[in-house]
Amino acid sequence: MPSRLLALAASVAAAWFLAPSASFADAYPSRPITFIVPWGPGGGADQVARMASKLMEPELKVSVPVVNMPGATGQTGHQKLLTSPSDGYTLEIMTADTFATLAQPNSRFKIEQFIPVAVLIQQRSGLFVNATGPIKTFEDITKGDKELRVAITGYNSPDDLSIKLLGKQGAKLQGIPFAEPGLRYASVIGGQSDIVYEQAGDVRSFLDGKQIKPILFFSDKPAAGFEDTPYSGKLGIDVKLSQFRMVVVRADTDPAIVKKLSEVLSKVAQSAEYKAYLAQQYAQPDSYVGSDQALPFIKGWLAEFTALMPKRQAAQ
Amino acid sequence: MDTLTLLGRGFAELFQTQELIALFLGLMFGMLVSILPGLGLVMGVVLALPFTYSMELGPAIILLTAIYMSGTYAGCFTAILYRIPGEPMDVPLLWDGWGMTKRGEAAKALGWALVAALTGGLVSTIVMIGLAAPLKNLALSFGAPEYFAAVFFGLTTVVALAGNSLPNALISLCLGLLVSTVGIDATYGSERFTFGFTELMNGVPYVMVLVGMYGYGEILSKLSHSSSLKAIPKQDSFTTKFPTRAELWGLRATFARSTGLGTLLGLIPGAGATISSFVAYGVEKQYGKRGDKLGTGIPEGIVAPQIASTASVAGHMVPLMTLGLPGSGATAVILAAFLLKGVQPGPFLFQSEATTLVVYTIMASMFASVIGMCLLGFLWIPLVVRALLIPTGVLAAIIVMLTLVGAFADRNSLSDVWIVVVFGVLAWVLDRYKIPIAPMVLGAVLGPMAEDSYTRSMITFHGDWTIFFKQPLSGSLMGLALLSLAFPVMRNLFGRFSRAKAKPLNAT
Repeated sequence: MPSRLLALAASVAAAWFLAPSASFADAYPSRPITFIVPWGPGGGADQVARMASKLMEPELKVSVPVVNMPGATGQTGHQKLLTSPSDGYTLEIMTADTFATLAQPNSRFKIEQFIPVAVLIQQRSGLFVNATGPIKTFEDITKGDKELRVAITGYNSPDDLSIKLLGKQGAKLQGIPFAEPGLRYASVIGGQSDIVYEQAGDVRSFLDGKQIKPILFFSDKPAAGFEDTPYSGKLGIDVKLSQFRMVVVRADTDPAIVKKLSEVLSKVAQSAEYKAYLAQQYAQPDSYVGSDQALPFIKGWLAEFTALMPKRQAAQ
Repeated sequence: MDTLTLLGRGFAELFQTQELIALFLGLMFGMLVSILPGLGLVMGVVLALPFTYSMELGPAIILLTAIYMSGTYAGCFTAILYRIPGEPMDVPLLWDGWGMTKRGEAAKALGWALVAALTGGLVSTIVMIGLAAPLKNLALSFGAPEYFAAVFFGLTTVVALAGNSLPNALISLCLGLLVSTVGIDATYGSERFTFGFTELMNGVPYVMVLVGMYGYGEILSKLSHSSSLKAIPKQDSFTTKFPTRAELWGLRATFARSTGLGTLLGLIPGAGATISSFVAYGVEKQYGKRGDKLGTGIPEGIVAPQIASTASVAGHMVPLMTLGLPGSGATAVILAAFLLKGVQPGPFLFQSEATTLVVYTIMASMFASVIGMCLLGFLWIPLVVRALLIPTGVLAAIIVMLTLVGAFADRNSLSDVWIVVVFGVLAWVLDRYKIPIAPMVLGAVLGPMAEDSYTRSMITFHGDWTIFFKQPLSGSLMGLALLSLAFPVMRNLFGRFSRAKAKPLNAT
């Protein structure tokens, strides 16, 4: 496709012209920074990006417009980042779902292609059931007396792999994929599914409305806001995949620019407004991970995720 | 809170600056597109969609709904006065409308159309608002098999009712379904028909198919048989003469029949305003007291199609908001507008107080739209009709520009612009071969829903396909779907049979 070749040529030319130099990094940023959200407006990724953009602008003294480019589990937007110049003027918010596609045997992206500048939000995933339904506790699930339907986002997702592991505990679970969040929640409230795998922040209105309740969180410590609910670490279940969203830039970006962005994001994370946002989302209060720790963090997550994948696929 | 209180709050919300401006602009724009031949109400909502990107949810949907509503009405003016159908749904109305005009009864014809639009709009809106709460509760018990059956019913209806040829309608539907399979499949993640292009991984966005086929394609067709007006045909007055009470009473059966039909057809995904209009006219011809005189210029021929097309609007809006099912081209665009705001129509629209209020504000705006469009039509139509004088070339250029810019603005992607162009050309080609485009567009819109709910049913019930027929709700919907497919075949067979029987009689 000519336009793609053109884009490639343009980015090569741009990379050559804008070769990193000390003076360039000092002047950064001198023009607006595009913030790619590879998901639609209104979703979790969009919300965190808009919050961060609003708080970053006064620090960077340039505008940071958010551009939504949804599609293909976030891969469309990610592709856009990788074909933009690595000059620090294009950022992307990457979610755990997109990141998990890197573990697929034929993934078109690699972890070496980008630098995580900061992890902005971490949310514990959990299992939620109808508040008035027959399932009261996690033990009701592990009894395994009948097959239970779990609403998940899709196959080979963190949802799918996490619930598969529960089979070892005696649970008979069948994952039913719902790409559409609304249908996923409706299926539990309407009784078509028994359980839904989700992050508490995304189902806040149903929790507040006492329509659903959590029975387990995948975590090694109690989930923020749900200290009484059992968590996998406590029950000796070895899965704690969380949902996280991070800011990334292209791999060959000038380290001085990465440092500057990281400092700004660290200030953002410390602001009262951002902390209130995290609490509202039932996110971990210590969600923020700076650029020095972000790479080990996401590599650890990916290793855990890959270990959960069926052996046949992981080996390929 | 009960429905009336909510509706009252909806009205209070509606009478605010932003909402009222959206309503007014929507009504004016809807009138404009519906009187311009070649531009329909679907194109109206398509063109307006990019302007809603920066608006809040409430005004955005009010704007589009007002276009949708008034788009079913204003076309009657040009059809009655000048014999120019603004869009296909005005064709049945034209037969009798023009007949009355020729006899010098244009004012009377306009009066009948106004009363019809008012009745159809108001009654169906009342019925649908009443049904919203039960439908919302029903929606929660809608599992995958029920969704599949509802979508399947919609697809068979549009095939059965669109156009004259069943094979052509089926070809069109299958093309649409084929388009909907492009991209990464939602359940298993396999790539289909992407040919290695990242741009196609997420599939072909149905909004772009709509913009291409109804926007760009219509313009191509319009240009290929140019119909620019040099001057507006002379018409002495735009006065509207209302029918008397006795005359209204005389047509009570037509009113009841067509209102019921329009509302009911609205509930079925697939039957848009045009189909409702034609079906109502057909039913009137078949069962009306003066059915045999239809086409000679009698009010029944204006009232039946006008009521049904306006009544179908509310019929379509409520399933969209309660079940998340878009039943027509216009509601598919409105669904896209909801999704752009991060709001998924469905039972959860009623979950939070804020979105419940938005829903009832939209419903209140439907009442206001019906009354508003009749008032505007009554007062301003001489002015709006002057739009017919805009040269085709200028109009086409404006519309092509708006469709392409709108396509790009959706997600800042140039590949979407190409998709619009490709589907526009395809629509033009299909039009030339007399293949209706409505089934294809609906196939592209409902295809992913059909596939998704089918696959999920199979996973949930371990591959047991009889599940669609076993459960009461999905079973009855599937039964209706099969009936609607059998209907055109039967009609053909029956038609041949009766013709064959009639022949010897004629011979004697």
